[in-house]
Amino acid sequence: MNLLDYRRVTMPLSREDARSLRAGDMVLLDGEITITAGLPTHHRILKCMEDGVDPPIPLQGQSLLHLGSYSQDTADGGLEVLYMNPTTSTRFNPLMPRLIRHFGLTAVGGKGGLDAACREAMAEVGCVYFSFLGGGAPLHSSAITAVKAVAWNDLVAHYRLVRLAVSGLGPVTVGIDAHGNSLFETLSQQATDRMPEILAQLDRDRAG
Amino acid sequence: MTFLGKESLSAMPITQEAVKTLSAQLYDWSLRRVPDDTKDALRRARATETHEGAQRVLEIMLGSAMRAEQTDRFVCSDAGVPVFRVTLGANARWEGDLKAAIVEGFDELVGRIQPPLLKHVTNPLTNERGYKGKDMPLVTWEMESGVDWIEIACQPKALGSGRWAQAETFSFPSLADIEAYVMRAVMTAGSQHCPPVIIGVGIGGSFDVAAKIASKATYRPIGSVNPEPVLAAMEERLLRAVNATGFGPMGTGGDTTALAVHVDYSAGHGYTPVAVCFNCWINRRTRARIHADGSVERME
Repeated sequence: MNLLDYRRVTMPLSREDARSLRAGDMVLLDGEITITAGLPTHHRILKCMEDGVDPPIPLQGQSLLHLGSYSQDTADGGLEVLYMNPTTSTRFNPLMPRLIRHFGLTAVGGKGGLDAACREAMAEVGCVYFSFLGGGAPLHSSAITAVKAVAWNDLVAHYRLVRLAVSGLGPVTVGIDAHGNSLFETLSQQATDRMPEILAQLDRDRAG
Repeated sequence: MTFLGKESLSAMPITQEAVKTLSAQLYDWSLRRVPDDTKDALRRARATETHEGAQRVLEIMLGSAMRAEQTDRFVCSDAGVPVFRVTLGANARWEGDLKAAIVEGFDELVGRIQPPLLKHVTNPLTNERGYKGKDMPLVTWEMESGVDWIEIACQPKALGSGRWAQAETFSFPSLADIEAYVMRAVMTAGSQHCPPVIIGVGIGGSFDVAAKIASKATYRPIGSVNPEPVLAAMEERLLRAVNATGFGPMGTGGDTTALAVHVDYSAGHGYTPVAVCFNCWINRRTRARIHADGSVERME
Protein backbone atom coordinates (compact mmCIF):
# COMPACT_ATOMS: atom_id res chain seq x y z
CA MET A 1 0.00 0.00 0.00
CA ASN A 2 1.25 3.47 -0.88
CA LEU A 3 2.12 5.69 2.08
CA LEU A 4 -0.26 8.33 0.69
CA ASP A 5 -3.14 5.95 1.33
CA TYR A 6 -2.62 5.76 5.09
CA ARG A 7 -4.70 7.94 7.39
CA ARG A 8 -2.64 10.55 9.21
CA VAL A 9 -3.35 11.56 12.80
CA THR A 10 -1.97 14.49 14.78
CA MET A 11 -0.09 13.90 18.03
CA PRO A 12 -0.81 14.41 20.82
CA LEU A 13 -4.05 12.72 19.80
CA SER A 14 -7.27 14.44 20.71
CA ARG A 15 -9.56 12.27 22.83
CA GLU A 16 -11.91 12.20 19.84
CA ASP A 17 -9.21 10.98 17.42
CA ALA A 18 -8.11 8.34 19.93
CA ARG A 19 -11.66 7.00 20.15
CA SER A 20 -12.04 7.04 16.36
CA LEU A 21 -9.28 4.45 15.89
CA ARG A 22 -9.95 0.70 15.87
CA ALA A 23 -7.59 -2.20 16.62
CA GLY A 24 -5.94 -3.25 13.36
CA ASP A 25 -6.01 0.24 11.78
CA MET A 26 -2.71 1.44 10.38
CA VAL A 27 -1.88 5.14 10.50
CA LEU A 28 0.93 7.67 10.12
CA LEU A 29 1.73 10.06 12.97
CA ASP A 30 2.37 13.81 12.71
CA GLY A 31 2.94 16.32 15.51
CA GLU A 32 4.66 15.85 18.86
CA ILE A 33 5.40 12.61 20.70
CA THR A 34 7.02 11.86 24.05
CA ILE A 35 9.26 8.81 24.28
CA THR A 36 11.48 6.78 26.61
CA ALA A 37 12.75 3.19 26.74
CA GLY A 38 13.74 3.26 30.40
CA LEU A 39 12.28 1.51 33.43
CA PRO A 40 14.10 3.99 35.75
CA THR A 41 12.40 6.79 33.78
CA HIS A 42 8.97 5.34 34.50
CA HIS A 43 9.90 5.13 38.19
CA ARG A 44 10.91 8.80 38.14
CA ILE A 45 7.62 9.77 36.51
CA LEU A 46 5.74 7.85 39.21
CA LYS A 47 7.82 9.65 41.85
CA CYS A 48 6.79 12.99 40.32
CA MET A 49 3.15 11.87 40.59
CA GLU A 50 3.59 10.90 44.22
CA ASP A 51 5.30 14.21 45.00
CA GLY A 52 2.59 16.15 43.20
CA VAL A 53 4.97 17.80 40.73
CA ASP A 54 5.00 17.77 36.93
CA PRO A 55 7.65 15.66 35.22
CA PRO A 56 10.24 17.85 33.42
CA ILE A 57 8.30 17.28 30.19
CA PRO A 58 4.57 17.63 30.99
CA LEU A 59 2.55 14.54 30.12
CA GLN A 60 -1.09 15.55 30.68
CA GLY A 61 -3.11 14.43 27.65
CA GLN A 62 0.11 13.50 25.83
CA SER A 63 1.55 10.29 24.44
CA LEU A 64 4.15 8.18 26.22
CA LEU A 65 5.74 5.79 23.73
CA HIS A 66 8.27 3.04 24.44
CA LEU A 67 10.82 4.21 21.89
CA GLY A 68 14.54 4.42 22.59
CA SER A 69 16.66 7.09 20.95
CA TYR A 70 20.24 8.25 20.74
CA SER A 71 20.21 11.94 21.62
CA GLN A 72 23.20 14.26 21.83
CA ASP A 73 24.08 17.95 22.03
CA THR A 74 24.99 19.73 18.82
CA ALA A 75 27.83 22.18 18.32
CA ASP A 76 25.40 25.12 18.11
CA GLY A 77 23.88 24.35 21.52
CA GLY A 78 20.89 22.43 20.17
CA LEU A 79 19.92 18.80 20.41
CA GLU A 80 19.77 16.05 17.83
CA VAL A 81 18.46 12.50 17.77
CA LEU A 82 20.56 10.21 15.60
CA TYR A 83 18.21 7.23 15.62
CA MET A 84 15.07 5.87 17.25
CA ASN A 85 13.30 2.51 17.51
CA PRO A 86 10.68 0.79 19.73
CA THR A 87 11.35 -1.44 22.71
CA THR A 88 9.20 -4.20 24.23
CA SER A 89 6.32 -2.57 26.12
CA THR A 90 5.24 -5.57 28.18
CA ARG A 91 7.96 -5.06 30.77
CA PHE A 92 6.25 -1.79 31.74
CA ASN A 93 2.88 -3.53 32.29
CA PRO A 94 2.81 -3.10 36.10
CA LEU A 95 3.45 0.67 35.84
CA MET A 96 1.35 1.75 32.87
CA PRO A 97 -2.22 1.70 34.26
CA ARG A 98 -1.35 4.36 36.88
CA LEU A 99 0.44 6.52 34.31
CA ILE A 100 -2.37 6.19 31.76
CA ARG A 101 -5.04 7.20 34.31
CA HIS A 102 -3.09 9.93 36.11
CA PHE A 103 -1.98 11.78 32.99
CA GLY A 104 -5.00 10.87 30.86
CA LEU A 105 -2.58 9.72 28.15
CA THR A 106 -4.19 9.51 24.70
CA ALA A 107 -1.56 7.24 23.17
CA VAL A 108 0.98 4.71 24.40
CA GLY A 109 3.01 2.38 22.20
CA GLY A 110 6.17 0.49 21.41
CA LYS A 111 6.14 -3.13 20.34
CA GLY A 112 4.75 -6.38 21.73
CA GLY A 113 1.67 -4.82 23.35
CA LEU A 114 0.43 -4.27 26.90
CA ASP A 115 -1.72 -6.44 29.18
CA ALA A 116 -5.41 -6.51 30.14
CA ALA A 117 -5.00 -4.13 33.11
CA CYS A 118 -3.49 -1.53 30.76
CA ARG A 119 -6.20 -2.14 28.17
CA GLU A 120 -8.86 -1.42 30.84
CA ALA A 121 -7.15 1.82 31.89
CA MET A 122 -6.90 2.83 28.23
CA ALA A 123 -10.62 2.24 27.63
CA GLU A 124 -11.44 4.31 30.72
CA VAL A 125 -9.52 7.39 29.64
CA GLY A 126 -9.68 7.05 25.83
CA CYS A 127 -6.16 5.97 24.90
CA VAL A 128 -4.73 3.76 22.13
CA TYR A 129 -1.60 1.59 21.78
CA PHE A 130 0.50 2.00 18.65
CA SER A 131 2.62 -0.98 17.56
CA PHE A 132 5.81 0.27 15.85
CA LEU A 133 8.00 -1.80 13.58
CA GLY A 134 10.91 -3.30 15.55
CA GLY A 135 14.01 -3.06 13.38
CA GLY A 136 12.52 0.08 11.90
CA ALA A 137 15.20 2.57 12.96
CA PRO A 138 15.96 3.84 9.42
CA LEU A 139 12.27 4.63 8.85
CA HIS A 140 11.38 5.95 12.29
CA SER A 141 14.48 8.14 12.53
CA SER A 142 13.84 9.83 9.20
CA ALA A 143 10.39 10.97 10.44
CA ILE A 144 11.93 13.17 13.16
CA THR A 145 11.75 16.85 12.20
CA ALA A 146 12.85 18.48 15.48
CA VAL A 147 13.97 17.67 19.00
CA LYS A 148 11.72 19.71 21.30
CA ALA A 149 13.09 18.68 24.71
CA VAL A 150 15.32 16.12 26.39
CA ALA A 151 15.08 15.57 30.15
CA TRP A 152 16.97 13.51 32.72
CA ASN A 153 20.29 13.63 30.89
CA ASP A 154 21.98 11.82 33.76
CA LEU A 155 20.39 8.63 32.42
CA VAL A 156 21.80 6.62 29.46
CA ALA A 157 20.53 8.11 26.19
CA HIS A 158 17.70 5.64 25.50
CA TYR A 159 16.29 6.09 29.02
CA ARG A 160 15.92 9.89 28.75
CA LEU A 161 12.50 11.45 28.45
CA VAL A 162 12.41 13.03 25.00
CA ARG A 163 9.83 15.12 23.16
CA LEU A 164 10.11 15.06 19.38
CA ALA A 165 8.31 16.62 16.46
CA VAL A 166 7.62 14.02 13.77
CA SER A 167 6.12 13.94 10.31
CA GLY A 168 4.75 10.74 8.81
CA LEU A 169 6.05 8.47 11.57
CA GLY A 170 5.02 4.89 10.79
CA PRO A 171 2.87 3.32 9.51
CA VAL A 172 2.01 2.07 12.98
CA THR A 173 -0.67 -0.50 13.81
CA VAL A 174 -3.35 0.24 16.40
CA GLY A 175 -2.64 -2.78 18.63
CA ILE A 176 -5.10 -1.81 21.38
CA ASP A 177 -7.95 0.62 20.83
CA ALA A 178 -9.87 2.80 23.29
CA HIS A 179 -12.89 0.49 23.15
CA GLY A 180 -11.36 -2.51 24.93
CA ASN A 181 -10.08 -4.36 21.85
CA SER A 182 -6.54 -5.72 21.95
CA LEU A 183 -4.97 -7.56 19.01
CA PHE A 184 -2.45 -9.01 21.45
CA GLU A 185 -5.04 -10.53 23.77
CA THR A 186 -7.20 -11.72 20.87
CA LEU A 187 -4.26 -13.39 19.10
CA SER A 188 -2.96 -14.96 22.30
CA GLN A 189 -6.40 -16.41 23.04
CA GLN A 190 -6.76 -17.58 19.45
CA ALA A 191 -3.39 -19.36 19.59
CA THR A 192 -4.35 -20.99 22.92
CA ASP A 193 -7.63 -22.18 21.40
CA ARG A 194 -5.82 -23.55 18.35
CA MET A 195 -3.08 -25.34 20.31
CA PRO A 196 -4.88 -28.73 20.83
CA GLU A 197 -5.39 -28.98 17.05
CA ILE A 198 -1.83 -27.76 16.34
CA LEU A 199 -0.42 -30.47 18.63
CA ALA A 200 -2.72 -33.09 17.09
CA GLN A 201 -1.49 -32.08 13.63
CA LEU A 202 2.13 -32.46 14.82
CA ASP A 203 1.23 -35.99 15.97
CA ARG A 204 -0.30 -36.81 12.58
CA ASP A 205 2.70 -35.36 10.72
CA ARG A 206 5.10 -37.33 12.90
CA ALA A 207 3.19 -40.56 12.22
CA GLY A 208 3.59 -39.75 8.52
CA MET B 1 66.72 -30.71 4.11
CA THR B 2 63.94 -29.19 2.02
CA PHE B 3 60.50 -27.99 2.97
CA LEU B 4 58.25 -27.97 -0.02
CA GLY B 5 54.51 -27.95 -0.47
CA LYS B 6 51.66 -26.07 1.16
CA GLU B 7 53.16 -25.89 4.67
CA SER B 8 56.14 -23.87 3.54
CA LEU B 9 54.03 -21.48 1.47
CA SER B 10 51.60 -20.70 4.31
CA ALA B 11 54.18 -20.23 6.98
CA MET B 12 52.70 -16.98 8.33
CA PRO B 13 50.54 -17.48 11.40
CA ILE B 14 47.15 -15.74 11.65
CA THR B 15 47.71 -12.62 13.72
CA GLN B 16 46.02 -11.13 16.78
CA GLU B 17 45.65 -7.92 14.78
CA ALA B 18 43.74 -9.72 12.00
CA VAL B 19 41.29 -11.25 14.49
CA LYS B 20 40.84 -7.89 16.23
CA THR B 21 40.10 -6.05 13.00
CA LEU B 22 37.77 -8.69 11.59
CA SER B 23 35.73 -9.26 14.75
CA ALA B 24 35.06 -5.51 15.03
CA GLN B 25 34.08 -5.31 11.35
CA LEU B 26 31.71 -8.28 11.65
CA TYR B 27 29.87 -6.61 14.52
CA ASP B 28 29.66 -3.29 12.66
CA TRP B 29 28.44 -4.95 9.43
CA SER B 30 25.80 -7.00 11.26
CA LEU B 31 24.06 -3.84 12.48
CA ARG B 32 23.52 -2.32 9.03
CA ARG B 33 22.29 -5.12 6.84
CA VAL B 34 19.62 -7.81 6.97
CA PRO B 35 21.15 -11.02 5.53
CA ASP B 36 20.12 -11.86 1.94
CA ASP B 37 18.53 -15.22 2.86
CA THR B 38 16.39 -13.39 5.41
CA LYS B 39 15.25 -10.70 2.97
CA ASP B 40 14.40 -13.47 0.47
CA ALA B 41 12.38 -15.29 3.13
CA LEU B 42 10.52 -12.07 3.97
CA ARG B 43 9.71 -11.56 0.27
CA ARG B 44 8.40 -15.13 0.02
CA ALA B 45 6.30 -14.57 3.14
CA ARG B 46 4.98 -11.33 1.65
CA ALA B 47 3.85 -13.29 -1.42
CA THR B 48 2.07 -16.02 0.54
CA GLU B 49 0.57 -14.01 3.45
CA THR B 50 -3.22 -14.02 3.42
CA HIS B 51 -3.60 -11.40 6.19
CA GLU B 52 -3.73 -7.88 4.76
CA GLY B 53 -2.20 -6.12 7.75
CA ALA B 54 0.61 -8.68 7.82
CA GLN B 55 1.33 -8.09 4.13
CA ARG B 56 1.77 -4.41 4.90
CA VAL B 57 3.98 -5.03 7.93
CA LEU B 58 6.21 -7.34 5.83
CA GLU B 59 6.43 -4.63 3.18
CA ILE B 60 7.47 -2.06 5.78
CA MET B 61 10.10 -4.51 7.12
CA LEU B 62 11.61 -4.91 3.65
CA GLY B 63 11.51 -1.12 3.26
CA SER B 64 13.40 -0.67 6.52
CA ALA B 65 16.02 -3.26 5.48
CA MET B 66 16.55 -1.51 2.14
CA ARG B 67 16.74 1.95 3.74
CA ALA B 68 19.38 0.72 6.22
CA GLU B 69 21.54 -0.50 3.32
CA GLN B 70 21.05 2.62 1.21
CA THR B 71 21.86 5.00 4.07
CA ASP B 72 24.38 2.80 5.92
CA ARG B 73 22.40 3.12 9.17
CA PHE B 74 21.54 0.65 11.92
CA VAL B 75 18.43 -1.45 11.25
CA CYS B 76 17.64 -1.47 14.98
CA SER B 77 18.60 1.11 17.59
CA ASP B 78 19.35 -1.71 19.97
CA ALA B 79 22.77 -2.91 18.81
CA GLY B 80 22.53 -5.64 21.44
CA VAL B 81 25.65 -7.01 23.05
CA PRO B 82 28.47 -8.38 20.90
CA VAL B 83 28.17 -12.17 20.62
CA PHE B 84 30.76 -14.14 18.66
CA ARG B 85 31.31 -17.77 17.74
CA VAL B 86 34.92 -18.47 16.81
CA THR B 87 35.85 -21.74 15.13
CA LEU B 88 39.55 -22.54 15.25
CA GLY B 89 40.77 -24.91 12.56
CA ALA B 90 42.65 -27.76 14.21
CA ASN B 91 45.48 -27.12 11.75
CA ALA B 92 45.37 -23.33 12.00
CA ARG B 93 48.43 -21.50 13.28
CA TRP B 94 48.14 -18.21 15.04
CA GLU B 95 50.18 -15.85 17.15
CA GLY B 96 49.17 -13.59 20.00
CA ASP B 97 46.16 -13.51 22.31
CA LEU B 98 43.01 -14.08 20.27
CA LYS B 99 40.76 -13.66 23.32
CA ALA B 100 42.22 -10.21 23.98
CA ALA B 101 41.93 -9.42 20.25
CA ILE B 102 38.14 -9.60 20.37
CA VAL B 103 37.92 -7.44 23.52
CA GLU B 104 40.25 -4.83 21.99
CA GLY B 105 38.39 -4.89 18.68
CA PHE B 106 35.08 -4.11 20.39
CA ASP B 107 36.64 -1.38 22.58
CA GLU B 108 38.09 0.36 19.55
CA LEU B 109 34.86 0.05 17.59
CA VAL B 110 32.90 1.68 20.44
CA GLY B 111 35.25 4.65 20.17
CA ARG B 112 34.86 5.22 16.44
CA ILE B 113 31.57 3.76 15.16
CA GLN B 114 29.10 6.20 13.54
CA PRO B 115 26.39 6.61 14.54
CA PRO B 116 27.55 5.84 18.12
CA LEU B 117 26.20 2.80 19.96
CA LEU B 118 23.79 3.09 22.86
CA LYS B 119 25.02 1.59 26.14
CA HIS B 120 23.63 -1.92 26.30
CA VAL B 121 26.26 -3.93 28.19
CA THR B 122 24.48 -4.51 31.49
CA ASN B 123 25.80 -5.57 34.88
CA PRO B 124 23.07 -8.06 35.88
CA LEU B 125 23.70 -7.45 39.59
CA THR B 126 23.06 -3.69 39.44
CA ASN B 127 21.39 -3.18 36.02
CA GLU B 128 23.95 -0.43 35.30
CA ARG B 129 24.67 -0.10 31.59
CA GLY B 130 27.82 0.82 29.70
CA TYR B 131 30.12 -0.44 26.97
CA LYS B 132 32.20 -2.82 29.09
CA GLY B 133 31.46 -5.73 31.39
CA LYS B 134 32.61 -9.04 32.75
CA ASP B 135 33.15 -11.65 29.98
CA MET B 136 32.14 -9.13 27.30
CA PRO B 137 32.13 -9.68 24.32
CA LEU B 138 30.45 -13.05 24.78
CA VAL B 139 32.50 -15.57 22.81
CA THR B 140 31.97 -19.28 22.16
CA TRP B 141 35.18 -21.03 21.10
CA GLU B 142 34.96 -24.15 18.96
CA MET B 143 37.38 -26.32 17.01
CA GLU B 144 37.02 -27.99 13.65
CA SER B 145 39.19 -30.86 12.47
CA GLY B 146 40.99 -30.96 9.16
CA VAL B 147 41.04 -27.22 8.34
CA ASP B 148 43.59 -24.44 8.79
CA TRP B 149 41.38 -21.33 8.88
CA ILE B 150 39.81 -19.39 11.73
CA GLU B 151 36.14 -18.55 11.27
CA ILE B 152 34.45 -15.74 13.19
CA ALA B 153 30.68 -15.39 13.26
CA CYS B 154 28.88 -12.49 14.93
CA GLN B 155 25.29 -12.37 16.12
CA PRO B 156 24.53 -9.41 18.39
CA LYS B 157 21.75 -10.26 20.83
CA ALA B 158 19.32 -7.85 22.44
CA LEU B 159 16.42 -8.10 24.86
CA GLY B 160 13.77 -7.99 22.12
CA SER B 161 14.34 -11.59 21.09
CA GLY B 162 16.98 -12.72 23.60
CA ARG B 163 14.50 -12.35 26.47
CA TRP B 164 12.38 -15.28 25.31
CA ALA B 165 14.96 -18.07 25.12
CA GLN B 166 14.30 -20.91 27.53
CA ALA B 167 15.46 -24.40 28.43
CA GLU B 168 13.97 -27.30 30.34
CA THR B 169 15.40 -30.67 31.24
CA PHE B 170 13.38 -33.84 30.61
CA SER B 171 14.03 -37.54 31.22
CA PHE B 172 13.74 -39.79 28.17
CA PRO B 173 11.34 -37.42 26.35
CA SER B 174 9.52 -38.49 23.20
CA LEU B 175 9.70 -36.31 20.09
CA ALA B 176 6.10 -35.30 20.90
CA ASP B 177 7.24 -34.09 24.36
CA ILE B 178 10.06 -32.08 22.80
CA GLU B 179 7.85 -30.49 20.16
CA ALA B 180 5.15 -29.62 22.71
CA TYR B 181 7.83 -27.84 24.75
CA VAL B 182 8.97 -25.85 21.71
CA MET B 183 5.35 -24.77 21.22
CA ARG B 184 5.12 -23.68 24.88
CA ALA B 185 8.18 -21.47 24.33
CA VAL B 186 6.51 -20.04 21.21
CA MET B 187 3.36 -19.28 23.22
CA THR B 188 5.36 -17.57 25.99
CA ALA B 189 7.08 -15.31 23.47
CA GLY B 190 3.74 -14.64 21.75
CA SER B 191 3.80 -11.25 20.02
CA GLN B 192 6.84 -9.93 21.83
CA HIS B 193 10.03 -11.07 20.00
CA CYS B 194 9.74 -9.07 16.77
CA PRO B 195 8.40 -11.91 14.61
CA PRO B 196 8.78 -13.43 12.06
CA VAL B 197 11.61 -15.11 13.94
CA ILE B 198 14.25 -17.74 13.30
CA ILE B 199 13.90 -20.42 15.99
CA GLY B 200 16.85 -22.49 17.20
CA VAL B 201 16.23 -25.73 19.10
CA GLY B 202 18.96 -27.73 20.84
CA ILE B 203 18.21 -31.24 22.12
CA GLY B 204 20.38 -33.29 24.47
CA GLY B 205 24.01 -33.06 25.49
CA SER B 206 24.31 -31.35 28.86
CA PHE B 207 22.53 -28.18 30.00
CA ASP B 208 25.15 -25.86 28.49
CA VAL B 209 25.56 -27.89 25.28
CA ALA B 210 21.82 -27.82 24.55
CA ALA B 211 21.81 -24.02 24.76
CA LYS B 212 24.95 -23.78 22.66
CA ILE B 213 23.66 -25.94 19.81
CA ALA B 214 20.27 -24.17 19.86
CA SER B 215 22.05 -20.86 19.40
CA LYS B 216 24.36 -22.30 16.74
CA ALA B 217 21.35 -23.64 14.83
CA THR B 218 20.06 -20.08 14.34
CA TYR B 219 23.22 -19.28 12.31
CA ARG B 220 22.22 -21.82 9.64
CA PRO B 221 21.03 -20.16 6.42
CA ILE B 222 17.26 -20.12 5.92
CA GLY B 223 16.29 -22.76 3.38
CA SER B 224 19.24 -25.04 4.14
CA VAL B 225 18.15 -28.64 4.67
CA ASN B 226 19.08 -30.38 7.91
CA PRO B 227 21.35 -33.36 7.06
CA GLU B 228 19.57 -35.50 9.70
CA PRO B 229 16.33 -36.71 8.07
CA VAL B 230 14.56 -36.99 11.45
CA LEU B 231 15.40 -33.37 12.23
CA ALA B 232 14.61 -32.14 8.72
CA ALA B 233 11.09 -33.55 9.11
CA MET B 234 10.79 -32.07 12.61
CA GLU B 235 11.83 -28.63 11.35
CA GLU B 236 9.19 -28.72 8.61
CA ARG B 237 6.31 -29.71 10.85
CA LEU B 238 7.34 -27.32 13.64
CA LEU B 239 7.50 -24.41 11.20
CA ARG B 240 3.93 -25.19 10.05
CA ALA B 241 2.83 -25.49 13.69
CA VAL B 242 4.41 -22.17 14.73
CA ASN B 243 2.83 -20.39 11.78
CA ALA B 244 -0.57 -21.90 12.60
CA THR B 245 -0.59 -19.89 15.87
CA GLY B 246 -1.43 -16.69 13.97
CA PHE B 247 0.72 -14.18 15.91
CA GLY B 248 2.13 -12.90 12.62
CA PRO B 249 4.66 -10.16 11.74
CA MET B 250 5.31 -7.90 14.78
CA GLY B 251 2.72 -10.00 16.61
CA THR B 252 -0.25 -8.09 15.23
CA GLY B 253 -1.71 -11.06 13.33
CA GLY B 254 -0.85 -13.10 10.25
CA ASP B 255 0.41 -16.40 8.85
CA THR B 256 4.11 -15.62 9.30
CA THR B 257 5.32 -15.98 12.88
CA ALA B 258 8.56 -17.80 12.00
CA LEU B 259 10.75 -17.83 8.89
CA ALA B 260 12.55 -21.01 9.92
CA VAL B 261 12.93 -23.58 12.69
CA HIS B 262 16.42 -25.08 12.96
CA VAL B 263 17.04 -28.08 15.21
CA ASP B 264 20.27 -29.77 16.27
CA TYR B 265 21.09 -32.44 18.84
CA SER B 266 23.92 -33.97 20.81
CA ALA B 267 24.01 -37.39 22.42
CA GLY B 268 23.55 -37.18 26.17
CA HIS B 269 22.38 -39.25 29.10
CA GLY B 270 18.70 -40.05 29.63
CA TYR B 271 18.23 -36.60 31.07
CA THR B 272 17.62 -34.46 28.02
CA PRO B 273 17.82 -30.69 28.14
CA VAL B 274 15.86 -28.93 25.41
CA ALA B 275 16.77 -25.31 24.65
CA VAL B 276 14.77 -22.93 22.47
CA CYS B 277 15.99 -19.53 21.30
CA PHE B 278 14.82 -16.86 18.88
CA ASN B 279 16.31 -14.38 16.44
CA CYS B 280 14.10 -11.44 15.55
CA TRP B 281 13.20 -10.75 11.90
CA ILE B 282 16.33 -8.69 11.15
CA ASN B 283 18.34 -11.85 11.96
CA ARG B 284 21.65 -10.06 12.52
CA ARG B 285 24.37 -12.45 11.47
CA THR B 286 27.77 -12.08 9.81
CA ARG B 287 30.59 -14.57 9.24
CA ALA B 288 34.07 -14.58 7.73
CA ARG B 289 37.19 -16.75 7.62
CA ILE B 290 40.84 -15.85 7.92
CA HIS B 291 42.77 -18.32 5.80
CA ALA B 292 46.27 -19.58 6.44
CA ASP B 293 47.67 -17.20 3.80
CA GLY B 294 46.14 -14.26 5.69
CA SER B 295 43.36 -13.62 3.19
CA VAL B 296 39.91 -12.83 4.58
CA GLU B 297 36.86 -14.48 3.02
CA ARG B 298 33.54 -12.88 3.97
CA MET B 299 30.82 -15.55 3.91
CA GLU B 300 27.89 -13.32 4.88
